[in-house]
Amino acid sequence: MSKTYEYVPEPALIKGNHDFKSITALVTDINLRPTPKLWYVAFGISNILLLVLLISIAYLIWEGIGIWGLNQPVGWGWAIINFVWWVGIGHAGTLISAILFLFRQNWRTAINRFAEAMTIFAVMCAGIFPAIHVGRIWVIYWVFPLPNQMAMWPNFNSPLLWDVFAVSTYFTVSFLFWYVGLVPDLATIRDRIKSKVGKLVYGGFALGWRGSNRHWWNYEKSYMILAGLATPLVLSVHTIVSFDFAVSIIPGWHTTIFPPYFVAGAVFSGFAMVLTLMIICRKIYGLEDIMTVDHIEKMNIIILVTGSMVGFAYIMEFFIAWYSGVEYEKAIFILRAIGPYAWAYWIMITCNVISPQLFWSKKLRRSVGFTFFISIVVNIGMWFERFVITVTSLSQDFLPSSWGYYSPTFWDIVTYIGTFGLFFTFFLLFLRFLPMVAVAELKGVMPQADPHNYDEVTGEYKEPVVKIPEPRKDSV
Amino acid sequence: MSDQSTKTTYWKSLNELAKNKEYEKFVEREFPENATELTDQVSRRSFLRVMGASIALAGFASCRRPIQKILPYRSQPEDLVLGVPNFYATSIPFQDTVTGLIVENNEGRPTKLEGNEDHPSSGGRTNIYQQAGILSMYDPDRSRSPVRNEEKVSKSDFETFAASHFSDTARNILFISEASSSPTLNRLKGDALRRFSNAEWVTYEPFSDDNAIEGTQLAFGRRLRTVNHFDKADIVVSLDDDFMSPNGHKNSVENAYKTTGKRRVQTVEDSMSRIYCVENSFTSTGSYADHRLRLKSSQIEAFTYALAAKLSEQVTGLQAFSGVSNTFSTHDWISRLADDLLGNRGNSVVTAGQQHSPGVHAAVAAINLALNNAGNSVTYHELPFRDNRDERQAFMDAMMQLKAGTYDTVVLIGTNLVYTAPADLDLALALANVETKIHLADYYDETSRICDWHVNRAHFLETWSDGLSYTGQRSVVQPQILPLFDGLSEIEFLNTILTGEESTGYDLVQETWSNYFTNDFTRQWEVVLHDGLDPDTGFDSVDVALSGNFSAGIREHLSAEPVSGMEISIKPDATLFDGRYANSGWLQELPEPMTKITWDNVALMSPRTAESLGLPSDRSFSSNEVPTVRIAAGDQTIEIAAWVQPGHADDSITLTTGYGRQNVGRVADGVGVDTYPLRTSASMFYQSANVEPTGAKYEIACVQDHHSLEGRDMIRTASLDEYKEKPDFATFKSFHGFEVPGMKEAEARGTADQGPISLFTEQYGPEHQPQWGMAIDLNACFGCGVCTIACQAENNIPVIGKREVGRRRIMHWIRTDRYYEGDQDNPTVYHQPVPCMHCELAPCEQVCPVAATTHSEDGMNQMTYNRCIGTRYCANNCPFKVRRFNFFNYTKEFLTTGDDPEIIQMAMNPEVTVRFRGVIEKCSYCVQRVNRAKRDTKIATGSLKPADGTVKTACQQACPANAISFGDLTDRESKISQDKMNDRNYVMLEEMNVRPRTSYLAKLRNTNSGLA
Repeated sequence: MSKTYEYVPEPALIKGNHDFKSITALVTDINLRPTPKLWYVAFGISNILLLVLLISIAYLIWEGIGIWGLNQPVGWGWAIINFVWWVGIGHAGTLISAILFLFRQNWRTAINRFAEAMTIFAVMCAGIFPAIHVGRIWVIYWVFPLPNQMAMWPNFNSPLLWDVFAVSTYFTVSFLFWYVGLVPDLATIRDRIKSKVGKLVYGGFALGWRGSNRHWWNYEKSYMILAGLATPLVLSVHTIVSFDFAVSIIPGWHTTIFPPYFVAGAVFSGFAMVLTLMIICRKIYGLEDIMTVDHIEKMNIIILVTGSMVGFAYIMEFFIAWYSGVEYEKAIFILRAIGPYAWAYWIMITCNVISPQLFWSKKLRRSVGFTFFISIVVNIGMWFERFVITVTSLSQDFLPSSWGYYSPTFWDIVTYIGTFGLFFTFFLLFLRFLPMVAVAELKGVMPQADPHNYDEVTGEYKEPVVKIPEPRKDSV
Repeated sequence: MSDQSTKTTYWKSLNELAKNKEYEKFVEREFPENATELTDQVSRRSFLRVMGASIALAGFASCRRPIQKILPYRSQPEDLVLGVPNFYATSIPFQDTVTGLIVENNEGRPTKLEGNEDHPSSGGRTNIYQQAGILSMYDPDRSRSPVRNEEKVSKSDFETFAASHFSDTARNILFISEASSSPTLNRLKGDALRRFSNAEWVTYEPFSDDNAIEGTQLAFGRRLRTVNHFDKADIVVSLDDDFMSPNGHKNSVENAYKTTGKRRVQTVEDSMSRIYCVENSFTSTGSYADHRLRLKSSQIEAFTYALAAKLSEQVTGLQAFSGVSNTFSTHDWISRLADDLLGNRGNSVVTAGQQHSPGVHAAVAAINLALNNAGNSVTYHELPFRDNRDERQAFMDAMMQLKAGTYDTVVLIGTNLVYTAPADLDLALALANVETKIHLADYYDETSRICDWHVNRAHFLETWSDGLSYTGQRSVVQPQILPLFDGLSEIEFLNTILTGEESTGYDLVQETWSNYFTNDFTRQWEVVLHDGLDPDTGFDSVDVALSGNFSAGIREHLSAEPVSGMEISIKPDATLFDGRYANSGWLQELPEPMTKITWDNVALMSPRTAESLGLPSDRSFSSNEVPTVRIAAGDQTIEIAAWVQPGHADDSITLTTGYGRQNVGRVADGVGVDTYPLRTSASMFYQSANVEPTGAKYEIACVQDHHSLEGRDMIRTASLDEYKEKPDFATFKSFHGFEVPGMKEAEARGTADQGPISLFTEQYGPEHQPQWGMAIDLNACFGCGVCTIACQAENNIPVIGKREVGRRRIMHWIRTDRYYEGDQDNPTVYHQPVPCMHCELAPCEQVCPVAATTHSEDGMNQMTYNRCIGTRYCANNCPFKVRRFNFFNYTKEFLTTGDDPEIIQMAMNPEVTVRFRGVIEKCSYCVQRVNRAKRDTKIATGSLKPADGTVKTACQQACPANAISFGDLTDRESKISQDKMNDRNYVMLEEMNVRPRTSYLAKLRNTNSGLA
């Protein structure tokens, strides 16, 4: 009994001297306050961009895929790049809310609601592209296994079909998970909101939540189960998206490294996107106490890890291309680095491999401004990664006679910009009407939730930190 | 509907209804004018307008048969089953030759032209101009009525005018016609010259063989046509003669099939001829040759004399050249050529390009005579339709007379002189002096606009005529349909001038032919109509001997000096020829065989010349823009895009004609640059010029952006000697030094005959079905591109316009890849036609989410348009990139825009679905032809397997080189099975294990070891 251990307490997850009430107020007051003017401005801009998206989609359907820059060797361009990019971004939300939940990473509670919302809207943006990039959108439903008079099934061998199932499942589960987590907080707003309509609406969505022990028990179980369900999806969705490429026979696509490489890349870009949004929101909404620099640092470490994984994958691709002895594979990787798309390749390397390495410096990874900058750089880099994969391989494949250069048109670009309109429209609605932090969960990781009434060292009884309010005698 | 007028009214009303409401609405709705991607100069929009022009037109029912009455089929005619095409023989005129054709006729409308196997000029094959003939008939931009002083009038107005104007037989009339071999036209020409005593008749072709004929006059003292028998020649020396290409030689099809026939190698025992080519620009023939030497156009003449001088040391008959010494006398090639030619006396051919001077042709004729080739591999023939005079000189003289005001009436028959005549003649000015100018033409063109009278010409598929083939077979031109625009043929036009009234071409042709068949005319005539030609006819070969004046005559030529600085050389365009095909969308969009450029002409120059001009010697991969140059010759200047052509002679620039048209047709207008202004009567072929870069850029739509093979194995090649030593040189193992991955495992398993082991269950078709396969002999292909146009005609492939082609969206189902290998200054060229490979383990089939592309039991990779949703995943996953996507609604635009879209609709093959926007399409192995043959065979024999040779794909049928074989692989005796067993047979990307049904036979070159 001679050895003594020094107890190093975790730094508090929530800064400032908050109690349950002030936390509730801090988060839900955002929804209860009158709408700020700035929100209207932001919402207006998003709506305009959304309109741009709708117009470009309408024009696309009216005129045909030819309005894009696609051509003979390059049959997939910005649409597929954007699809993969947006789906990848979505991954962070599920990873934070499900995997980190299962691993009991309590810091996640500050950002999980926020990240999950981002996931759902990102997947919505992503889902648009595979639908509109087909030549005949009016028969897109043929990809679903619907009974029909021709007894015609879709082709279950096709990775595109797997994609349909993977992405729709992912969206459904993510949405349910998000909604279940929202229920206690919706009840909180229901209780606090003044307007009758608000009470009715929030009350409806709160599904009659009264905070009873039984409710909590059911809630915890279902949340756990959904977290368990969502966890494999984090891995499967981008794995299957990568199959779109890996299952084909095109050099630079036909690679077994794609599934882990895509998942790592997805988490990488998703965390960057969460950081971008979070750094803005915590400032505007004054949530620095909840989304602290410690959070930013932890996320930057994940970016550093996944960024290094992605960098490793790039190196492995080159190695395998050489090691395989396949001349087409070798050629495409050399062409990526020094060919007509070298500019895109080196943007990708700079943004994805070099920039996250700066986070080895503690000073830099705790710098909010720097993190914000890198988070944007990473997302640019990840967009270019998809560009490099999709375009360069198609552009210069087996027969040199069919090699051709691809450049986007005006419509490619505005469609992509338009998806930001969709994303921010939904995201702003979320910020306005839903608690952007999981208040109930957050309270569970506050020191007050774990009073520790016995001294760590001596074992003597201490006064509880939390004052249990006396029953109000006047109302009894 | 018993008479013409009722019919007219009936259709007119329907047509007007359609025109006023439906089509105008269509146009507005479907294509907003301001849509950004639609507003280029040659946009698909403007092209499509072509396909349906204005002017209300009566009577476009589906039944335009050459009969006077239209009846519904109350009882069906004996020879017509709806849905089953009929085939008729006819001939297509080109300058003073005709080529026999078989026309596929669907319910009275011709839809496809094929070669007539009984006709020696065709041998069942065609060239690009012949394939495109069908579209030119359905060209809605053709002139639709006579025009007098820019005012549309009727045909009877012209008859009235002709009757009165030509009643004065003392008029000074100048007839200028295109070259024609038609006996009927020549009969009428004789009549005209007899009737109008002060008349003169000259012919003019901007690119003719006049110099070749003057060459024989110089050598033999007789004006003769030279026929080279490439099937008898073991050594061919081409002095700038692109004899296999239709723009290089008017008998190109026969030349091509005889040349390639002489080079067919089935086993190591076989041999092949050896072709040497000395030329300026890189031509198809040059690319096919075993050895090629690049020289400036102006140096070819000296080279020829040096060769003759060298030969004169060994053979008699060339004394005129002995002692000739010039820069080429010591050239390595001269002695090698002389050795080979001397070793093959009587079975070699020396030939020169028709644009070269009479001196070159005389030297070539003398060489062939001295080598004993004359009468064996080269024959000479008198032309019955040609006057014994220098036609070019006669034309120039007539032009002088014209300027002097000798003529009061000029009758232009077909020729577009204002556009094509040498610039220094200034035809527009010369014609201004003439009182009455009458022009018969297909289009209201440059010449028509300055004439008092324009008469619209009927197409050869609409009229009766006749002609002589290159070797003299008397052939008949039969109409397949009543004239769409009610025009006159040359003979009807001439007859109207002669008699003042219209007689049908039928009567005129029969009148001529009644002289040939003295007894039993009807029967013999019917045989001719059936066969398309009188088989017992043909020019007799004449014995030739050197003329006594030869030595003296040739002497003045011997001192010809090459152009010292930069030369320009003007040639007919590969696809538009002299401009006569400029309004054909198919030909405009056909990639030029060597440069792969569509919709433009360029200034071709060598990489070194480009560098010396300060231009980049290679093209940017990421941009369609190329620099332009300003070319000044004489007092004329043009600006044109510069194009680096590896293998072009240095200090020389090749220009092609036919572009830069204005107000001719909506396809032709504004495409490319008119190069005729640089051409003068003194220098019809080459001249010196000043060339400088302009600094401006110009967009070119080229369908192949990368020239190099990158060391890959798509093309496998060996010399004939190497092949004999190592017959299996073309296998994967021979090429790479190791076995195809997975092959050892398959051998262990005993399935090596099917290919390497595979993850997938094999998809070999059942034995009771035929199993289709194709083999393409790269040793025959010379890259002419006729397969592409034949496929386009057969499979209703739309034309999409320059901008869409520039965006790499060309729709052709079969393309011809062209690779350069080796030294950029003097590369070797390979042509490789690439249709769908019909892979047995097709990667496209595996990735389609909706199973729109699947495998048939007879081994074809099929595309179900109706099921396709257009993900383009199949196109991405196709390693051969043969799948085409309808990015816009090309076909709908092609077929329904304009005021009378019915015209172009009539050109469509009713057996092939037209594809709509958003679906993938690709080569189907002409499944409609396959299934027609299977159906017929099933009815006739009960078997599903048609006999070998019954099914021909469109590309195979058209190919003048006989490079493509197609058939049933389960038939061990079939041509295709034999080809697949050939040592040279290989498939592209064998290591991918996709198991293509289309394979290639490796290229051979019969090289001279002394020159290699």
